[in-house]
Amino acid sequence: MKLYEHEAAQIFGEMGLPVPERVVVYSPEEAKAAAEKIGAPVVIKAQVLVGSRGLAGGVKAAETPEEAFAVASRIIGMSIQGIKVEKVLVTKKVSFQKELYMGITVDGYRGQPVVMVSSEGGMSIEEVARLFPEKIGTRHVPLNRGLMAFEARKLVKDAGFPAGQIGACADILVKLYQIFLRCNALIAEINPLVILQDGTLMAIDAKLEMDDSALKRLGKLVPKDHVRNETPMEKKGREIGVTYVELDGDIGMIASGAGLGMATMDIIGKKLRPANFLETGGGITEELLYKTMDLMMMKKGLRAIFINLYGGINPIHEGAKGIVRYIKEKGVKIPIVAKALGNRQEETWEILRSGGVHVVEEVPTEKAVAKLFEVLS
Amino acid sequence: MSILLNQKTRVLVQGITGKIGSVQTHWMLDYGTNIVAGVTPGKGGANVEGVPVFDSVSEAVVATGAEAAVFFVPASFVLDAFFETVDAGIDLIVIVPEHLPVHDVMIMHDYLLRQTGRDIFVLGPTTPGITTAGEAKMGIMPGSLFKPGKIGIISRSGTLAYEMTGILTDSGIGQSTVVGMGADPVALTSLANILKRYEEDPGTDAVVIVGEVGGVQEEQAADYIKRMTKPVAAYIAGRFAPEGKKMGHAGAIIRGTQGTVKSKCETLGAAGVTILDTPIDVLPWAKKTGH
Repeated sequence: MKLYEHEAAQIFGEMGLPVPERVVVYSPEEAKAAAEKIGAPVVIKAQVLVGSRGLAGGVKAAETPEEAFAVASRIIGMSIQGIKVEKVLVTKKVSFQKELYMGITVDGYRGQPVVMVSSEGGMSIEEVARLFPEKIGTRHVPLNRGLMAFEARKLVKDAGFPAGQIGACADILVKLYQIFLRCNALIAEINPLVILQDGTLMAIDAKLEMDDSALKRLGKLVPKDHVRNETPMEKKGREIGVTYVELDGDIGMIASGAGLGMATMDIIGKKLRPANFLETGGGITEELLYKTMDLMMMKKGLRAIFINLYGGINPIHEGAKGIVRYIKEKGVKIPIVAKALGNRQEETWEILRSGGVHVVEEVPTEKAVAKLFEVLS
Repeated sequence: MSILLNQKTRVLVQGITGKIGSVQTHWMLDYGTNIVAGVTPGKGGANVEGVPVFDSVSEAVVATGAEAAVFFVPASFVLDAFFETVDAGIDLIVIVPEHLPVHDVMIMHDYLLRQTGRDIFVLGPTTPGITTAGEAKMGIMPGSLFKPGKIGIISRSGTLAYEMTGILTDSGIGQSTVVGMGADPVALTSLANILKRYEEDPGTDAVVIVGEVGGVQEEQAADYIKRMTKPVAAYIAGRFAPEGKKMGHAGAIIRGTQGTVKSKCETLGAAGVTILDTPIDVLPWAKKTGH
């Protein structure tokens, strides 16, 4: 779960990192009031969970409360990478001498947290890696030991951080590592960490992604509103208990596993365009596939549905009942092609055929998709 | 011959009295697996499908000589079960549950890295398990799909391992051992490590990698594959996966330019791997390699 900047900044602040004074607002009027409260000049920042919001015009300074009103009315409602901006963060504008970078992520291959720092902040770390590889320091952290202050000092010193700031920066890095641990984070990042004119440090952006599988045990640390960057259909998929990723094609796809689903999209994609990725996981019931069909049919302009199931841990005959019940109740007109193999496959085929589904009994998905192409041609 | 598991391996089931644990124990026994013990704290003395249940792994090991363990415990209990199992001296562990916190998996990974004097082999989390065709299976793979033979399969996904196995069996081509390495961002055994077992196994003479988007396991295995003598083919799923979206598996996510089908196919191809454009292309490759 990715956190909005204002949510991450809240946690960073509570855990001892220096963050600017700030207010989240949903309207130009509130932005003006916030600028009056904090004291102009301020910076107004779109709260969206996509990158490059600055380039898209989603981050602007305002010298007066009136200007804050005008800037906020331009940013609220604008679209950044297809996401509508609904709220902005109003923060005190600070002047600084230098921008730095600090981030911690999971190195999946090494199975350890990896800390990265750079004396060039304010741009993406990928960009820094390309332009100034010598200004990046990297260190893997053994979990049984953690990140020690002396290691943090060496890391920032070697990356070229200013001599006078090494102790203070190392202190912030160790705190960021503790936040990463405490929040079961996949990413914890400050970009940029700035050195103000008076030499003190401030985290003027905050990025935090919590592990979805750890949200339960994180309790109060997790922001209440869970809706993150989802289309309405993706949200509905999550609510009924399937993984749905919306794509721009017109062939609906249901699979009983993630790998099978991705491969099925690859095969369909040789001639047609998949409308979605949908994976049921191992919890198929009649009700789940009834609801899944309902979700599929929400997509406008669908030409056909392709279903690919394995009955290992899943009772596919139960799933078939749900599909057919939906077809009969709602009078689905578009063709449906299905491959279903495993425990009780013959029974499953019979049920599907009773609902007019084109059943393919062969093993390779390619053969079943060939049937789909044939039905549509 | 096979890797890691055969019909003699003495298997213990963690969480045997649960709904999934008991059903899967039935299927594993049915396939011929030598299940000697089950463990559920507080249920010692019971039996499931004729398998004796113990309160702890160490009691089960003392009583039955169990040497491999498969987990059907809830995700939040896995870390505890893992340390209980390794402390009891078991060296082959299959972690079926999904949705484990990544930080828990890193703790286990860290422990395994620092192990000396033991050769602990862990599959998962989020693995369908391991099946040695015609002999034994630990996990949830449907036994009817397999046919004994000489092709090894390693997959990050369960259902896609079934698809690949099914395509081969359907054409009369058998498998030695089929391994699910797990679909999480952190896997407890690397792809290269599993490949090494196949390279050393006289019962395997070619290997298929079934990968998917996300992470760098496939890329990292390329160096080892260059040194292998046995032919390797790979199919990588997820050409239509958009950046930044989790494709059903926690580990199947493209971040920036990392973890794409293109990156994996290019790196593996350069290491001499035959890249399969679609799963059914495994058949001409298998025939060419003498199957």
